Amino acid sequence: MTTLSLSVNGRALGPFEVRDDLTMNDFLREELGMTGTKFGCGAAQCLSCAVIVDMPDGSSHTNPTCVVPAVNFDGKAIRTIEGHAKDGVLTALQTAFIEHFSFQCGYCTPGFLNESQVLLERLEKTPVPRATLETVIAEALDGHLCRCTGYVKYHEAVRAVILAGADRYLI
Amino acid sequence: MRPSRRDFVKLMMASGIAVAVTPMARADAPTFASRETLPGRGVARPRLGRVDGVAKVTGAKLYASDFRAADMPGWPSQTAHALFVRSPDASHVYEGIDLDRLSLIAKPTVVVTAEDVARIGARVPEFYAGDLFCPVGKTPFFLGQPLALLIFASFDDFDRVRVALRDGNYLKFGAETGPTEGPNYGAFRFTRVAGPTPDGPDLYSPIQEGWVSPGFFESSGRPIWKPLPVAKGGEYVKGATFGDAIRAELDAPDPSRLVITQDFETQSIDPVFLEPECGLAWYDPSKRNLELVLGVQSPFEAASAIAFLLGEADADHKPATINAQFAHVGGGFGGKDHTPFSLYIALAALFLPGRPVRLAHDRFQQFQGGVKRHAFKMHSRIGVDRKSGLITGFAADHVLDGGGMANYSASVAVVGATGALGIYSIPKVDVTTVALHSRGVTAGSMRGYGTLQTMTAIESLVDEVCAALPLDPIEFRRRNALATGGRTMTGNPYSVSVRTPEILAKLEAHPIWRDRAIEKAAARPGFLVGTGVAVCTKDYGTGADCSLGRVEIDAEGRVSVHGDAVEMGNGIGTAIANRVAAHLGVVADRVGVSEIDAFDALGLFTSGDAYSTTQAAQDEAAKNPRWVPAISSATSASIGAHVGTQAAAEAARVLFRFGLWPAALAIWGIPQNDPRAKQWDEAFWQDGMLLMSGLSPLSLKAIAAKAHAMNGITGTMAHAFSRWAWAQATFTVGGEDVTADIDALAIRRGDGDFEPIERSAVAFPPADYNRIGTAFTSLCGTLVRIEIERATGIVRIAKAYSVLECGEALVPEVVRGQAHGGFAMGVGYALLETLPPFEDGPGNGQWNLGQYRIARASDLPVNDLEVEILPPLSPKEPPKGMAEVVMIPVVPGLLNAIFDATGHRFAALPVTAAQIKGVLA
Amino acid sequence: MTRPKWLLLLLVPLLANALVFAATGMAVSSDASRTLASPESFAAITDPVQRSAAYFTELGKVLQNPRCLNCHPAGNRPSQGDTMRPHQPPVFRGPDGMGLASMRCNTCHQGANFDPGRIPGHPAWHLAPIEMGWQGRTLTEICQQIKDPARNGGRTPEDLIDHIGADTLVGWAWHPGVGRTPAPGTQKEAGALVAAWVKSGAACP
Repeated sequence: MTTLSLSVNGRALGPFEVRDDLTMNDFLREELGMTGTKFGCGAAQCLSCAVIVDMPDGSSHTNPTCVVPAVNFDGKAIRTIEGHAKDGVLTALQTAFIEHFSFQCGYCTPGFLNESQVLLERLEKTPVPRATLETVIAEALDGHLCRCTGYVKYHEAVRAVILAGADRYLI
Repeated sequence: MRPSRRDFVKLMMASGIAVAVTPMARADAPTFASRETLPGRGVARPRLGRVDGVAKVTGAKLYASDFRAADMPGWPSQTAHALFVRSPDASHVYEGIDLDRLSLIAKPTVVVTAEDVARIGARVPEFYAGDLFCPVGKTPFFLGQPLALLIFASFDDFDRVRVALRDGNYLKFGAETGPTEGPNYGAFRFTRVAGPTPDGPDLYSPIQEGWVSPGFFESSGRPIWKPLPVAKGGEYVKGATFGDAIRAELDAPDPSRLVITQDFETQSIDPVFLEPECGLAWYDPSKRNLELVLGVQSPFEAASAIAFLLGEADADHKPATINAQFAHVGGGFGGKDHTPFSLYIALAALFLPGRPVRLAHDRFQQFQGGVKRHAFKMHSRIGVDRKSGLITGFAADHVLDGGGMANYSASVAVVGATGALGIYSIPKVDVTTVALHSRGVTAGSMRGYGTLQTMTAIESLVDEVCAALPLDPIEFRRRNALATGGRTMTGNPYSVSVRTPEILAKLEAHPIWRDRAIEKAAARPGFLVGTGVAVCTKDYGTGADCSLGRVEIDAEGRVSVHGDAVEMGNGIGTAIANRVAAHLGVVADRVGVSEIDAFDALGLFTSGDAYSTTQAAQDEAAKNPRWVPAISSATSASIGAHVGTQAAAEAARVLFRFGLWPAALAIWGIPQNDPRAKQWDEAFWQDGMLLMSGLSPLSLKAIAAKAHAMNGITGTMAHAFSRWAWAQATFTVGGEDVTADIDALAIRRGDGDFEPIERSAVAFPPADYNRIGTAFTSLCGTLVRIEIERATGIVRIAKAYSVLECGEALVPEVVRGQAHGGFAMGVGYALLETLPPFEDGPGNGQWNLGQYRIARASDLPVNDLEVEILPPLSPKEPPKGMAEVVMIPVVPGLLNAIFDATGHRFAALPVTAAQIKGVLA
Repeated sequence: MTRPKWLLLLLVPLLANALVFAATGMAVSSDASRTLASPESFAAITDPVQRSAAYFTELGKVLQNPRCLNCHPAGNRPSQGDTMRPHQPPVFRGPDGMGLASMRCNTCHQGANFDPGRIPGHPAWHLAPIEMGWQGRTLTEICQQIKDPARNGGRTPEDLIDHIGADTLVGWAWHPGVGRTPAPGTQKEAGALVAAWVKSGAACP
């Protein structure tokens, strides 16, 4: 057993005593009841389980939670899907995903939203040329599996948000 | 009587268990129903988008896998966890679980085995005939067969044992017996011989003669096999004689005719819906009430099956009431339709009374225990007149691997066989099909349902024919396409539009097709380029489809809609809301799906089997105005738009005509005898305002307020039934007769309760429509251009185009999305996905994604996949189901493109890079 | 020290192995592939160059084991598993061998193996530099690569003894976690072979 304290969507949580072999996914879903983060495969293949990790150096990345023990998140700051909208106001990405009909069953959507959010934040720091945008999006999202949509409208929505903020995200 | 397509199980009300839903709300916690009824009153949302959009982008609790006991108002708050133990072996005697050693990791609170199931008197529903658990001392009947449920009070114990069972060796097996043989799941022969003229009668067809089956299947004794409408003996001989003559003709040498033989094999695959099967249940012994939260495509069947399972159980295990609630589903594709999973959730709850229990697959377990797509072996022969390019005859023999349990195998065999002609009109056809038992994992319903396999074969065979004749592939299709009104294999025409010529014209004109020679010649060094085309048609409807719908409007003009169709990504909630909006002016802000309990006011009951009833039995039963041939059917990918929206749409039409329209007239001050009072069809909506020439627009809010104030009709509820045509009935509402495509109706006035209105007349579709294979169909054509890297054999899809028709597209962007997703699933099926059938396959419990590859975005032309949806032929054309057809043509399209690029025609799926590299060497 | 019967195969060219095994009736895949011979067991090879090469050939059972080859690809993508299938999800070397920005190796492969997730881990999880790519190369080619300071990270032969015999990322190959077959023998035994090979002149087979 190990003690785990972390920040989730800006809220300090813990300390919890958790089993060393408890996955972060089960910690979120079973212990915290935060089921916005999904379970799809348990093998780091689908990334339905991915959350955003905010690093001390100001960078962020997504992390699967199904193959990582909860205790490895001790001291970390994470964002989950439940933390995107503030006071019921959806983010640009969330709105775009709805308006573009990007998802169907929606089970993979939290993972895609986390990944796209990280992408936007990265582009804000390091914008890219327009000509590379489709490739940049493809590279960022390819770890995420979807069985319903064929990915087309996910890419479309992310591209639309970036183009709408071209001055921030593109060179 | 032929096996039904979707629902083999009769409603088991006679079991003495009331199956109903009683929401148990606490004032402070959201109820399950409120979480599932979307978007929810007062929830801010974008103007465009699905009704479940906000819930899905915010990670709201929505799926069965999201719920724990603590989320269910009124339940005890701790969740216990149940674990499936499944067999990785089907050739040795099962001798039990080494519980002593396993208990060193954690001791289960309860173990449920075959002995326990027998002891409590549980009955296995017919559809799932077989052992629920393999008893000790018997060889498991198939790989992945359940051996036991282990239930743990603590999640940590459950989790540790789950991993230990997966990675260790705790199952005891003894003597090697080899696999246990089992009877076939069914066999059929479909023969049709057209008469001398297309308008004259056929010489022989299934719809004229009845469906036939070779005598040997009857000896199987499997209870799901009902007798055919006619006795087998003589009629089988008659059909078989015609069939053998067709084959003899194909065999006879004839230089004027090209005959090609094809042996084509397809593989077992997994639906890989991203949410594994799971459910939650709680049995309260003090009230003898069983609560369930399930995520399935067939809610009515799941509840009925559980009622039957426990209908004659002992007092401790027979609930007095069952309260089943159904969640949005994280993907289904057929794999959550009629699976035995729900039975085990119920058992888990009953064996741990007083404690909520969760039963969930992880992905290893989902691969091991979830239903698969049937692997087909197809031997086909086609004869084509060289001069005219017309197909003269077709014969095929299909063999399906149904795996360990019967499930839908017989039905998949039938649908695959009757779909084997694809889009073509063929005057002489003879197809045999048989679904075999094997020790592999169970095969069941999956998107395409047999036609993916058989239409891939024929579109590949046609490509081979075109190359051999030679004849342009589009022109060949043009000459041979079945026209509107033309007869299908079973001898009936489709009763919907058949738009093959338009699809072909679109494909022919598209740059991918037009530029194929240029692009091929311009291939980069080290690469080969090829283009492929295919056109497929897929039926929608099962021959006994039901729809339940309820529409209400409150005094503020806010609309709620309830339906029994299941939302699994198909967008049914939005489609229902849109179709209702056409009548009521606004999109509902409360849409409840997967509800089987919201329609009790109709007072429906059913009897008999809708798929096999006689006309006399149906006429007699129909005299009771509350009788319907079936109450609720499963949601499959293709019936959402056509079936799932029907009852709500008709209910909305009645609500407008008899509720809102009179209120509007009252506001306008138009008396009943004014001619304009009868012109409800001329009024239309714009932005929530009702417009009528010459009158001032009225807001829905004002109309609704008036309707309530007048104690007018403010809510309607309906049931609809289709056997290749909607049942129609007449009702007297507000003193006037209205006939609608429904068979039951209830209305509500003001804020009152729903009251049924007895139908004064009803016309159910004739019983002999059961001889129809399918009557409804929609088409999709696909073009693909591929580039193959010689050194690796890797196929890259450079560009693709799909064109489809689906009548009225209720939510065009959902249709488009389904077309994208179907394309992706087709790519996976053609190039990436495969499961070994037996001990090396998923039944061994060791398979997961990574080893099993589904299409990623990098496998697809995500920025170059064009989908065109043809507008409906007429404003009168109703919606057609399309979610399966959009998956099919891409598969043979890819095979044909690979042939174009390499000169090699593959006849087995999947076609991997290694195989392509091999033929290029 | 007794010399196990199956060592006879090392005295004959590789092609004759099958005949020897057929004659002795022993299967290649049972004991032979899971263990590593000690340097002493090659004492019977009198020619010092041949004996030196024989050490390396035995070491080849480790170097060409999937545990090592998976992260020593010739290209920019690792392979995975005992079957060495392409790594899923698709991952790429990136500028530092630790993955692209959107999918760093250590995002999934954390500090230690995590058996419940069947995922291997080590604090320094990354691809070997491309100049150390071994997949598709013969043992002779790998031997030359491994001796070449331009392609072995600037290592002296003595450094190799420590790298193969003691480096903990290399050591992972013998404790790869559930679902992966360990490299043959032990890391210590592998180190002993490297030491013997280096001391005997580091001849290539």
